Amino acid sequence: MSATDRRLWRGLDERELEAWVAAEFPGALPLLAEPTRREVMRAMAASLALAGLAGCGEGAEEAIPYVEQPPEEVPGAARYFATAIIFEGYAQPVLAETHEGRPTKLEGNPEHAASGGATDAFTQAAILQLYDPDRSAAPLKGGRPAAWTEVERAALELATSLERNGGAGFRILTGDVTSPTLSRQLDALQRRWPQMRVHSFEPVGAGARRDGLREAFGRALELQLRLADAEAIVTFDDDLLGPGPAQVRRVRDWAAARRTGRGRVFAAECTPGLTGTAAAARLAVAPARIPMLVAALARRCGVVAPEVTPTAPESAWIEAAARALEAASGAGLVTIGTRHAPGLHALVHRLNDALGHSGRSARYTEALTYPAAPLTALAEEMAAGKVETLLVLGVNPAYTAAGAIRFPEHLRRVGTIIHAGLYADETAALAHWHLPLAHDLESWSDARAEDGTVTILQPVIRPFLSVRTAHEILALLGGEVGAAPRAIVEATWRERFGDAFETHWRRSLHDGFVAGTAAPAIAVRPVAAGPVAIPKSTGIEIVFAPDPTVWDGRFANLAWLQELPKPLSKLTWDNVVSLSPGTARALNVGAGDIVHLAAGGRVLEGPAWLLPGQPDGVATVYLGYGRRRAGRVGDAIGYDAFALQDPSSPFLIDGARLSRTAGNRRLATTQMHGSMEGFDFVRRVGARDAAVKGAKERHDASLYAGWPTGDPAWGMVIDLDLCVGCNACVIACQAENNVPPVGKSQVEMGREMHWLRIDRYYAGPEEAPETYFQPVPCMHCEKAPCELGCPVHATVHGPEGLNEMVYNRCIGTRTCSSYCPYKVRRFNWFDFTRDVAPSIEAQRNPDVTVRGRGVMEKCTYCIQRLNEARIAAHKENRPIRDGEVVTACQQACPSSAIVFGNLADAASAAAKAKASPRNYSLLGELDTRPRTTYLARVAPGEGKD
Amino acid sequence: MTDDAPILDPRQSYAAITRQIGDIPLKYPARLAWLVGLGLSAILLVVFVVSVTVLFANGVGVWGINIPVNWGLAISNYVWWLGIGHAGTLISALLLLMGQHWRNSLNRFAEAMTLFAVLCAGIYPILHLGRPWFVYWMFPYPATMSVWPQFRSPLEWDVWAVLTYLTVSILFWYVGLIPDLAAVRDRAGRRGWQIFFGVLALGWRGSARHWYRWRVAYRLTAAIAVPLVVSVHSEVSLLFAVGQIPGWHSTIFPPYFVLGAAFSGFAVVAMIAIVLRHAFGFDNLVTDRHLDALGKVLLACGLMTAYGYVFELVDAVYAGGAHELQTVQDRFFGAEAWSYWGAVVLNFIPLQALWFARVRRSAVALFLIALSVTVGMWFERYMIVVSSLYRDFLVSSWNGFTPSLWEWGVFIGTLGLFLVPYFLFVRLFPAISIAESKETIHEERHA
Repeated sequence: MSATDRRLWRGLDERELEAWVAAEFPGALPLLAEPTRREVMRAMAASLALAGLAGCGEGAEEAIPYVEQPPEEVPGAARYFATAIIFEGYAQPVLAETHEGRPTKLEGNPEHAASGGATDAFTQAAILQLYDPDRSAAPLKGGRPAAWTEVERAALELATSLERNGGAGFRILTGDVTSPTLSRQLDALQRRWPQMRVHSFEPVGAGARRDGLREAFGRALELQLRLADAEAIVTFDDDLLGPGPAQVRRVRDWAAARRTGRGRVFAAECTPGLTGTAAAARLAVAPARIPMLVAALARRCGVVAPEVTPTAPESAWIEAAARALEAASGAGLVTIGTRHAPGLHALVHRLNDALGHSGRSARYTEALTYPAAPLTALAEEMAAGKVETLLVLGVNPAYTAAGAIRFPEHLRRVGTIIHAGLYADETAALAHWHLPLAHDLESWSDARAEDGTVTILQPVIRPFLSVRTAHEILALLGGEVGAAPRAIVEATWRERFGDAFETHWRRSLHDGFVAGTAAPAIAVRPVAAGPVAIPKSTGIEIVFAPDPTVWDGRFANLAWLQELPKPLSKLTWDNVVSLSPGTARALNVGAGDIVHLAAGGRVLEGPAWLLPGQPDGVATVYLGYGRRRAGRVGDAIGYDAFALQDPSSPFLIDGARLSRTAGNRRLATTQMHGSMEGFDFVRRVGARDAAVKGAKERHDASLYAGWPTGDPAWGMVIDLDLCVGCNACVIACQAENNVPPVGKSQVEMGREMHWLRIDRYYAGPEEAPETYFQPVPCMHCEKAPCELGCPVHATVHGPEGLNEMVYNRCIGTRTCSSYCPYKVRRFNWFDFTRDVAPSIEAQRNPDVTVRGRGVMEKCTYCIQRLNEARIAAHKENRPIRDGEVVTACQQACPSSAIVFGNLADAASAAAKAKASPRNYSLLGELDTRPRTTYLARVAPGEGKD
Repeated sequence: MTDDAPILDPRQSYAAITRQIGDIPLKYPARLAWLVGLGLSAILLVVFVVSVTVLFANGVGVWGINIPVNWGLAISNYVWWLGIGHAGTLISALLLLMGQHWRNSLNRFAEAMTLFAVLCAGIYPILHLGRPWFVYWMFPYPATMSVWPQFRSPLEWDVWAVLTYLTVSILFWYVGLIPDLAAVRDRAGRRGWQIFFGVLALGWRGSARHWYRWRVAYRLTAAIAVPLVVSVHSEVSLLFAVGQIPGWHSTIFPPYFVLGAAFSGFAVVAMIAIVLRHAFGFDNLVTDRHLDALGKVLLACGLMTAYGYVFELVDAVYAGGAHELQTVQDRFFGAEAWSYWGAVVLNFIPLQALWFARVRRSAVALFLIALSVTVGMWFERYMIVVSSLYRDFLVSSWNGFTPSLWEWGVFIGTLGLFLVPYFLFVRLFPAISIAESKETIHEERHA
């Protein structure tokens, strides 16, 4: 149609496109020119005809519908399969709940020592990742979709060339690997191509801990912390109870100790974490003072260390900690965080050894992870142009590598980059090949938990995308085209199980772990001490911390975790630069003001946040944000803290400059006020058996008769002394009850939908506050104000004492929420559940109604689980047993702080908990008679009295 | 009325009154001004229609409400409009039964105000629903599932109260209109008008029997309406007082609300009276004595409302509940303090000028004071709803509230919803009661 001969071009991409078309589809080149009407019609006809071909995918496996229903498959009844989710290489053992072959929820594997039935928030959210519509669906070659056959061809070519040069210039980069199968495969490749190297990189990981172990003991070891019997725990900038691969085990163990009045924590902490919150004595110190404190404690406990001069409060804290450790006589523990130098770790190991903690609370085993070279070595080789081919397996170094490494730059010098990952992420964008990895829940694999116990991962759903497991990709590289993923894993275990393979295999799959694979403790003594450097702080210290909800960014595309309030700041959908209120005031910075951080020639800008309990002169930056290719949820939120990192001391930079800029960013927090304003929402008692003042409510003052206590009478007790604020319950509730995320702007307006929230209160001075967590689900009041307000009977009292929501009947007057003193009700301001991807819909729990627009909702005490138990009991003509109904929050809770059960049964755990003198009702003075009550926090420092 | 001067000049002839008022629908005097007024009101009505369309299409999320401020402008405007409606009934029914003849010049347009204000109020509980299409579930209809409304809920009482009030108000207004409709019918020259008013006049012939029946009906309806004035707004106050929220949970609420309602209603009546008097030259019917009376009533209602303010504080301080005291503090100094002080200042400061007869008799001054009260009472409704909810019991839930554009759109739109029918009313019906005005003149002549 164009009358002119001169082809006009619009942009440079067009030239590129032209070049690409010329190379790939020379026949189609004329189509790029201004098309004629006929050509347009022809193209349209062709598109229409070819559209049908999109249905012709690969992998048409045989599928035969049931003729007779298999006895184990009952429609409507959930089935559970034991498998695991891998987090930083370590298995998080789970039971996957599936409905007609569709996994919907993950629970901890109760028989596995690392879980005990509990999970953390990340594991709870893994189910959402399985269904993430932004997951990579097919291989990419140069950013364009390719078929696996192409990949196979290229892999064989690569293998042939590696065969010739013995693997020279070939590097594999993985995360931490504990998988026996992956280790076996890597070893096999290593043997075959001796010149190749395996590097491993975890952006957060164990870091200096491993180097410290090596320095202290002269060999690679694994340190396992066993808190269950610890009388006293001293932590130096180490968030033991915070998020991480071992969180569940540690919180569970600590709670067990705490229950018996032990587990007193002395935390010297910089950025406030969950450990400091649970501590009997928390000392807020800048990281530069940590080496000094460790040395002081070591000297106090008779271990050789440099002489130092702590301040008066520091000395007092050290003295208290030392006394507690002495009193514990061996049943104690000293730990230090990964951001501190290996030398300091070594000193702590010597201290533990001297105090007799080794082999008890500090347990040493052989290293669990595959021995691999670090990322820095790889970067150097890449910079030197020595890397011909790089296989990136399941990590995203283009985003997570420290900015100082300039990894993306070095990637350009690599001949061929093959990236395998769940997402086509930042690294995939720079790679020549991107291979989509299967999610753990659709994979055959294996991995070790933190104690070394192996879980064999079995798929709980057939992959619905064109994905492969890491094992298949390595097998492919090794020349095995089309190796069945199961066979690869089986091969590892055939070797180990020997003749009894079938029995052991089945047993292990059923149980979710391979019996007897826990790493045995070994007795080791520290080798001679090296010198310990005591640094001096020279300016603003920058502390790098993994984000409490998106970690290193690997969870950035999961809306549940983005919207999960960070435990202390209660922020959602953003990362911030945490400053102490004092430092912020000195700079005239308020929450949300953009601050500028500069260190080592690298800069970063992010919104400030005033965090009580943070020491002055320290800026904490959080990893995991500023993603560019995370997906539709996680892109372009927050700033990228990795850019500021220096690999020599990745989590700590001293001598940085901090200044204020003119900008400001609106932050979405779910709790605006930290103080209790003189109220007593969180009660404290001096001792475990002390009674809460005024907790006995006067029930005789009512004009009306009490609620008839039927049997069962459901109730819940939450022990505030055990709650560490880990957020597992919040996500468990969200996953179980089809609670939709609503996005940042809605959270900003106060419209988050969480049925269970964790309130965080501060008391005392802002430099050293006491911090309290209070999970708040529906109180299920016997005299419920909400029920009075509803004009249409949409919220009514059930015969078993539940305050029930009838969604179908709700017309959305919101009177119930206005009247609710606890504000636990949530409203569907828009149709939050309608416009989600179909794959997300697949995650939904079929036992729970999906609520539409204009309907009120709230915690139901997991009524679907109650009903399931009721039906089961009814069929067997018996009452519901104690412990038969476990609410989702209770099930996930690693510290078992939540107890649910029949209050009419005096022998039930819930009734016993209610009988505790620490039991009290929130806002009991209103006489709403809540069925959810709390056990008062045992005041810090008085846990043992 | 202690004043000895006559309410209406007894020298006016009955025919002149009939002509003056009755000719307005037939030969409308201020055509251009009316058209402009109606046009502007219609624009507001368009705003209403657009805002409601957006609301229904998307859900109440388009408003600024949240948890904990579940109720924002919708409920505060609901109370405000309903309060305004109250003065009409008070003037018409209560003063009728008490033999206050000065009300005869005011009752007609005050009743019309009531009707349209109740309409504006009544639409809010529907608009604010999450699922407005199920509003009929609040009515006790024979549902197949045998589900009834929840009769303990103040919202359910609302349904009954507002509907009863609307019905009685329409009846009272219409019954009062019948003799006047007949008078206009008899003066109408064009066929269309004759039929229009003829049908509406229900065959009124002005016989003694008609007058007797009419009087019985009118007084009976008035007797029914009077308790409604008290009950409806008492009930509306229970919408708040039944909840345990600090700032709501108070026994003073029913009288406090009724007085506040009368206060705001009289303010709007005064404004309308002044505007109509000016527009139609009703100086002979709405005299300075009427303004004086309105000023006095306004002052009295205002002072009683102020008592409510004071007693609410006394209540909180005397009870000493920490949460109540917190709410008092929030109202005084919190983020929504502007609404509290706005209400106090606008309601009670200019009001004090009404102690002076000169101010009461000045149309401009009275109009401005009434306007101040109308706005002040809007602030009060907003204050009661929002400043109690935004910081209730648990500190963790404390949040703020910013009304959205669409929320304001609906509010501004309801002004159109009020004004458009009002403009039609003054165009189509006798805005002042012809028969009752003549009755007043008759009584003045024979006094």
